[in-house]
Amino acid sequence: MSDSEPSAPAPAPPQDPDEIFVGLLAESWKRYAEMLRATQTDDLLIGAVIASYVNQGWALIDLTSDGATHLVRFHYHGADTRLLVAIKSMSESLTAAKVIGRLADVTVGYGIRVQNFQAVWSAIKSEIKSSIIMSDEPGIITVDGDMTSGYVFAQVDLLLDLDTYVVGGLQVDYAKLGAHLSATVNALHKYLYGRLGN
Amino acid sequence: MLNKLMEMSQKREMRESRDEMVVGELVLAFAQLGMPAVRFAAGMGQQSVRFATPADPLLHSVAVTLDRKTGSGALSDSLVGSKAVITVVAEVKNYLADPDDLVNMWRTDFANIARLPMLGQVKLDHQLNSVLATKKLMIELNEFTRDPAAGRVQLNQLIASTLEEMRGHLAPYKKASPFEIDG
Repeated sequence: MSDSEPSAPAPAPPQDPDEIFVGLLAESWKRYAEMLRATQTDDLLIGAVIASYVNQGWALIDLTSDGATHLVRFHYHGADTRLLVAIKSMSESLTAAKVIGRLADVTVGYGIRVQNFQAVWSAIKSEIKSSIIMSDEPGIITVDGDMTSGYVFAQVDLLLDLDTYVVGGLQVDYAKLGAHLSATVNALHKYLYGRLGN
Repeated sequence: MLNKLMEMSQKREMRESRDEMVVGELVLAFAQLGMPAVRFAAGMGQQSVRFATPADPLLHSVAVTLDRKTGSGALSDSLVGSKAVITVVAEVKNYLADPDDLVNMWRTDFANIARLPMLGQVKLDHQLNSVLATKKLMIELNEFTRDPAAGRVQLNQLIASTLEEMRGHLAPYKKASPFEIDG
């Protein structure tokens, strides 16, 4: 054999079988956690929304969740305003999350209490018109009125990638989440006040 | 007249929402402890939230269920208040388990059958990879919602003392592991 011929790779130093087994076990649990995480991102985000708004003085008044679809409503005592956030996960499995990302239908609603019966009635008429809209496209503002409590809501559907707000496995980017929700609520606030003429 | 009706409707809604308000405060309190909510199951009168515990070296997860018993109506609220049962389940995860573990632990499980967690005792339950400690507490929702600032302090103390007690019960069952996976 000449010096220029390539030599066979040196055999890897023998590894402790216990170390190999522990490594396999650790990798297995990591994969298991990753599968679990795929179903948890929407819950993680709705939890962050709750913690963020409760910390700002809003009271959580409604919570409905079946693990994949979540709805929360908040009430702000001082100003008689309400917020609604609904998240419907579109990727409740690791396969779906890997293929389309952690996408979710997110509805954000902003409601104000009006004393004017005419305004509530007008909103209810708009609600009837809104129910005619049979579209799953984002960016459609719908109006909803509740005659019993006197709240008029404007809400909009968005299609969001939940991974935008998650840093690492379980850390939420509160600043980005807060900024995006505030911007949406601000737009709905302007729309609603413009519509009600206040 | 319409305003009066709206006022009454809002009061009723606020009374019915006291359990949700406490759940909101729980989610915030756990988030401030570095334990984010990772699973929700909520319907009429009962809400369950599971929290991951990435910053806790012993606990793998904590699940809290709030089950409202009284006070949804104005009459029951004024007569007996708004009582609810909070069930806290803390989990320790061992990453390698075999059926012999269950056999070795049967004594604790057997002794726990007669325990009533309602009385504030901690009940232990062994599963293959998990050891669970359960504690039930009866609370008055009004104490946490009437004055949110004072209620928040009280709730934080309640959570801290409950978790500390559960850590004490669970610590002997945590096996040393060269790796840890966040719940």
